Amino acid sequence: MPAVLVQYEAEIWKAIIETFAMVGASIAAAVLIGLPVGTLLFLCRKGKILENQMVFSVLNLVVNIIRSFPFLLLVVFLIPFTRLIIGTAIGTAAATVPLSIIAIAHYSRLVEQSLLDVPKGVMEAAISMGASVKEVIFKFLYVEARSGLVLGLTTSIISFISYSTIMGVVGGGGIGDFAIRYGYQQFKTDLMIYMIIIMVILVQIIQFTGTTVSRLIDKR
Amino acid sequence: MIKLHKVSKSFSQFQAIKSISLTINKGEIYGIIGTSGAGKSTLLRLMNLLEVPNEGDVEVNGQQLTKLTSKSLRQARQSIGMIFQHFNLVANKTVYDNVAVSLELAKIPKQERKNRVIECLQFVGLEKLLDKYPAELSGGQKQRVAIARALANRPEVLLCDEPTSSLDPNTTAEILGVLENVNKSLGVTIVIVSHEMEVIKSICNRVTVMADGEIHDTVCIEPAGIANISNSPNWFVEQLVKGGE
Repeated sequence: MPAVLVQYEAEIWKAIIETFAMVGASIAAAVLIGLPVGTLLFLCRKGKILENQMVFSVLNLVVNIIRSFPFLLLVVFLIPFTRLIIGTAIGTAAATVPLSIIAIAHYSRLVEQSLLDVPKGVMEAAISMGASVKEVIFKFLYVEARSGLVLGLTTSIISFISYSTIMGVVGGGGIGDFAIRYGYQQFKTDLMIYMIIIMVILVQIIQFTGTTVSRLIDKR
Repeated sequence: MIKLHKVSKSFSQFQAIKSISLTINKGEIYGIIGTSGAGKSTLLRLMNLLEVPNEGDVEVNGQQLTKLTSKSLRQARQSIGMIFQHFNLVANKTVYDNVAVSLELAKIPKQERKNRVIECLQFVGLEKLLDKYPAELSGGQKQRVAIARALANRPEVLLCDEPTSSLDPNTTAEILGVLENVNKSLGVTIVIVSHEMEVIKSICNRVTVMADGEIHDTVCIEPAGIANISNSPNWFVEQLVKGGE
């Protein structure tokens, strides 16, 4: 192993763990909140089973507004809110707040898109068989859209990694922050390149896994 | 069995159904025919409230569907089977699961479910294909799965929306045979919407002709029987030559 990596081994591991913590929190927020929000966006559209112009417009606007922020600005803008929830606006835990919010907005949009690909007839068949809203969602929509949902999550996770790299501004740490502080600011270019390589490998693994899983569960 | 009382349905400005009343008796094979846009599909979709009428009442199995709560409507729908032109199977579920899901919706216990799924697939002759996915089936086989799915909860009525319109003549005959069998051996009342005269003439007892969202006429007919169509290339040649006479 290159000497520079050995020298900073402890810091590098710490940075990797911070990245995993931030991205992990983003994934959890995307799945637990982004998925329901995206489903609601889809179901409240005109002609869908929960058609509701009001709810759709509000959700749509909120998701758009969050996604229009340059992420760095969103992080700064959310500082008071973060302080309210976590008690501090600095550190890895605090960094998960803006990350989770962008994760929800990001994934919910991709969920909505995947669900729009489900043939209208499948939902009609479900309704004609007497399915409730919940059954339509879990026994038909998600089953039919599952490979799109997985691919969307894969794309999202890769974006979350990218977002997590700027969390150094609020002391969130992570691989990106480490690369900037040591590699760029202390002119250790080789260290920066090693960090980039770690990120590339990480993204490759995630994309490969996502593509494979989505292909295996797609029987259409 | 099915009674529509002065139902009408509009889509924004367009009035698709103009105050139609009709009665379909138990055990009938009832046809609805008309040109595209005559409102025949909409009329059928009113019978299980896939389309909710703007005015009028819909009664099926002695229940006023238009007056039910959404929960009782869902229960009522379990005894109204429906099949579609494009089959509308769940592509990510196997043949078995496509049929089983309608039993799941009816809260049938898992053990019973299994027997019933096999029974229904045997009825349509697909018991050997239960592990296949819809993408691996032919059009006719997909429609058979859809019929099995619609029959699983022992419905009183089967609504068929252009059931053969995306199938070739051979497969059409095959599916009509299955539907006739559903009617004869299970006593299910069948309503078929089609724009194909041959289809309607072959198995229906009574036919409504629709035009511009209204009933033009209703006639009783003697079902002509399902035309025997051969698979052989010679048959095609014969048909072509005969047409030239």
